[in-house]
Amino acid sequence: MGARSTTRLFSTTARKLASPPSISTSHLPKFPPKESLYVKDREIPTTPFDPEVWASLQPPPPSSLSAFANRIGLGGVLCESKEDVDVVLQACTHPSFLHIWQHHNPNGGKTPQTNGQLAAIGNSLMGLFATEWLRATYPYLPTRVLKAAVTAHVGPLTCANVAQEMGATPLLRWHRMRETPNKPALLHSDALASIPRSLTALVYQRRSLPSARQFVQSYFLSREVDIRSMIKFADPKKALLEMINKLQRERPKSRLLKETGRFSNAPVFVVGIYSGEEEIGQGFGSSLKMAEYRAAEDALHRVYLTRVPSHLVQIPSQTFPLGLGDVFRQAPEQAYTAPELVQSEIMYASSGKSFS
Amino acid sequence: MPRLPPVQALWRHKLGSSPANGHSSFLPQIRKLVVEYCDVWPSSHNTRTFLLNHAQTLAANNPHAEVVVRQRPFKEPILRAFYANNRDKVIGLNGLEVTQIEKKAQLLLDSSGAKIKALKKPVESSTPAARGIYSNLHAQRPSL
Repeated sequence: MGARSTTRLFSTTARKLASPPSISTSHLPKFPPKESLYVKDREIPTTPFDPEVWASLQPPPPSSLSAFANRIGLGGVLCESKEDVDVVLQACTHPSFLHIWQHHNPNGGKTPQTNGQLAAIGNSLMGLFATEWLRATYPYLPTRVLKAAVTAHVGPLTCANVAQEMGATPLLRWHRMRETPNKPALLHSDALASIPRSLTALVYQRRSLPSARQFVQSYFLSREVDIRSMIKFADPKKALLEMINKLQRERPKSRLLKETGRFSNAPVFVVGIYSGEEEIGQGFGSSLKMAEYRAAEDALHRVYLTRVPSHLVQIPSQTFPLGLGDVFRQAPEQAYTAPELVQSEIMYASSGKSFS
Repeated sequence: MPRLPPVQALWRHKLGSSPANGHSSFLPQIRKLVVEYCDVWPSSHNTRTFLLNHAQTLAANNPHAEVVVRQRPFKEPILRAFYANNRDKVIGLNGLEVTQIEKKAQLLLDSSGAKIKALKKPVESSTPAARGIYSNLHAQRPSL
């Protein structure tokens, strides 16, 4: 009974699909597998054959891998020839797959290639591209918000979603790992997230850094991220005062611009915050305090969400030379004009942990 | 000054983004197109003709979709398409001519796999109104 439950655990977790797995067998070198055939009077007893487990160990057909590569626009990059889809399979194989593979191939054989190292390289590259692009696009963004925005663009949740949108879910080969004292549990989304990271690393290896940046730009940095909701304050009036002092403007003054329904059950107040004669923020609310809070938030958002137009964005990694090859080769640098430094962020709530 | 309520911290595992397919690059949503036919029954005759004459060019022209041919013995022929949102669409090919089968295949290749829902609003958008929402507090007062 114990052996049965382990095999069921392996079979249900190795390939997570809504319906029971049905694989095509035309690409397999040997079918039906030897261990599934009945041998009369076998002397050495063998474990009972589980077709679901066997199915989850087989690689996906090469046609699905080449279709995947073409779908994401990397047909020419990854599949040098029609038959060469090994690198795509490697990108879709999580290191946890080796556990289940070695369990069922104790004699060894050709160990499948995994995407552990590729995912690590790709993760670093994606972090680099996202950070420099966000800093160049939003120069006034506070550091804690920049970090959160980088996570939103290229973090584990987005990577897993992108992998699903690419259609890589049936191609993923992995094995669910239980939580140990040294490592957290491995989830399906973590395994899926390794696929786009490996693809980024492969684009860098097979083409160049600018090509990898283009890949990340088109699939990750063009996604919709709500940065406004990440900029939160416990006391926006205090933050605004500090910012005004830093920018050496006149002290902020809030003025009631419009109101309606005072003392009724649905009042609306419109408050504007002024620095001298210039209105720097406006907010509405059902109470005077709420409207003033929102006005202060609006003033801070107008500063923090200042965006550089995309044609004027200058990023440091654009200095790497164009053309095939890695970043270490000797070639003429590309042009780069450093943007002017803006004032540093205010100290209030600048720690990553505190919001008050 | 009364203490303001604490602000919710940003949880890393919840920080995500919304897809914007087509803004920068386009991901076709179809993964696989399966043509299931029967070798014996006459209802699959047109499907067999389609497979012999048009299936290969269809697969070559759509490298992003995996085209699979499958036997469906003693049943009516169908086209089944699998999409990136883990849904599949099935079209029966019984009674269709070869040109109609081609059109159905193209329909499946163009589809996104999303469930067909009735549109209740005239405009659906993820961005706020381009012209702005009317505010009578900000409207121009009539002047005499």
